[in-house]
Amino acid sequence: MSSTPLPPGLQIEKVDERIMTLNVGPQHPGSGHMRIIVKIDGDYIVSADPDPGYVHRGEEKMAEYRNYVLNIPHLERPVIHDSCNVLYPYCLGVEELLGLEVPERAKYLRVIASELNRCVYIQYWLAIYGIFLGHSTMFMWPAGDRELYIDMLEKMTGARVTHSFFIPGGIRNDVPANFEDMLLKRVNYFEKRIKEYAAIFYDNPILISRTRDAGKLSREDAIRLGTTGSTLRASGVNFDLRVKEPYDAYGELDINVPTLKEGDAYARSKIPWLDMLESCNIIRQAVQKMPKSGSVRVKLKPNPKGGNDEVYKRVESGRGSLGCYVVSRNAPEPYRVKLSVGSFRNLICMPYLLKGEKLGNMPAVYWSLNYWPVEADR
Amino acid sequence: MGTATGIIKALNSGIKHLAVKRFTLRYPEQKLKMVGDGYQFDPSTGVGIAGYKGRHMLFHDHCTGCQLCSIACEGVAEAISMVKVQEEWKQNKKAIMPQIDYGKCVFCGLCVDACPFYSLYMTNDYELSSFTKEGLIYTPAQLQVKPNISQDVELKFDNPRGATHG
Ligand code: SF4
Ligand code: SF4
Repeated sequence: MSSTPLPPGLQIEKVDERIMTLNVGPQHPGSGHMRIIVKIDGDYIVSADPDPGYVHRGEEKMAEYRNYVLNIPHLERPVIHDSCNVLYPYCLGVEELLGLEVPERAKYLRVIASELNRCVYIQYWLAIYGIFLGHSTMFMWPAGDRELYIDMLEKMTGARVTHSFFIPGGIRNDVPANFEDMLLKRVNYFEKRIKEYAAIFYDNPILISRTRDAGKLSREDAIRLGTTGSTLRASGVNFDLRVKEPYDAYGELDINVPTLKEGDAYARSKIPWLDMLESCNIIRQAVQKMPKSGSVRVKLKPNPKGGNDEVYKRVESGRGSLGCYVVSRNAPEPYRVKLSVGSFRNLICMPYLLKGEKLGNMPAVYWSLNYWPVEADR
Repeated sequence: MGTATGIIKALNSGIKHLAVKRFTLRYPEQKLKMVGDGYQFDPSTGVGIAGYKGRHMLFHDHCTGCQLCSIACEGVAEAISMVKVQEEWKQNKKAIMPQIDYGKCVFCGLCVDACPFYSLYMTNDYELSSFTKEGLIYTPAQLQVKPNISQDVELKFDNPRGATHG
């Protein structure tokens, strides 16, 4: 017997009686600017399907209409809290295309700026992680201590979050007088403050029982799914571009990359905190080794033109490896700019991690992936 | 470490903060001190001078009406438009000067980098809110005014009970 044709009009999808589909987001504070379609059986997640793309801004297309310098203010927008690191690969790439040699002092100042920015980003991320877990002290403390470095960056670059500080060929301006003293005071105090987070957050049995063994990602899976940054290092893979492919002054600095073996949400939330402690060490080393005076920027021609060339550069951002591919076709504007971001790579493993978790644990696992919706959508 | 000791330790570290100095900056009673008089740029060396990127300041006696600032901003925010001014300056034959719309400006400072005649700088003034959209548009005459703001609070680290804003 041939099947009877369906009647026109609204058709109802056949569903399993036990399974319920929930849309978490896109305007839910527990999801960021994205939607997660979760299917639940009782309290347990059967499948989770992330649906990003709500904050697509067309950064890559916009870059094709602006010259190499005017691209700077908008290319740092994907993660304004980490704006120096987002611009970093673009600047490294354009420097290679235009054949610019960055002055030694600028290299160190870039390292300092990008480490400060990493801490500012991680503090913001940690504040949100705290409030996702219902730990409101952990929202207040990082949000307050972040101000130390924001203030420092403001004195260095002239803006609190969107610094527009890096430029192909160096940095926009030299640092103010008395810079090292101001910086070291803040770094020392910041380090003392973040060490206090251990007792209230990381050693807190309530947090541990909530996040231990939640969303376990094994070492093999972490590599197979192509995760990066803190997610990869929490699964026991020692991979950090600052050490593996040192750029600018990172090669001269001694960096201990923190790694943990467990691969659960607890380890993933702890790695960024260890990163911040390491950042303080890196900043102190950079201040010591930095040339005390000298040029910070090579003079650019107006409307500089690149040759017929292409280049791919990547750096370690707050969320993992961040690559930028720039194609130049003898014009003042790039022919193509493509950003390859850590957030999106980390999102790939989310459906695997959430399967079998309790729904209440979803924010704990989701945000531990160090995912930034705006960056993933560009 | 047992669960009970862990919880007590966590509570304790919070309670200790009752004795820690307040870190909050009480804006607008207090305003943070900036370095310098705002972001400036030296076209001869091609390097900027550190400072806050706030509202611009236009020096009418230097501006030649060359429009380079406006061309730079076209690729960023299209905030600058060149307008006729009544004044007569011998270096500015066309008598046009930039007018900036702060509803669009993103305070990147690339217009300052573009100006070759030392006539456009930025200042420490960031309190630009207005009730109307027109109020955000600053004419060359308004941009000429040097802002008069008292920003004097600095972070202090000398107190053993924690850093404060004075
Ligand atoms: S600071 Fe940037 S956005 Fe503002 S007027 Fe100048 S170039 Fe335009
Ligand atoms: S402010 Fe500078 S760049 Fe703009 S029109 Fe005047 S002289 Fe030219």
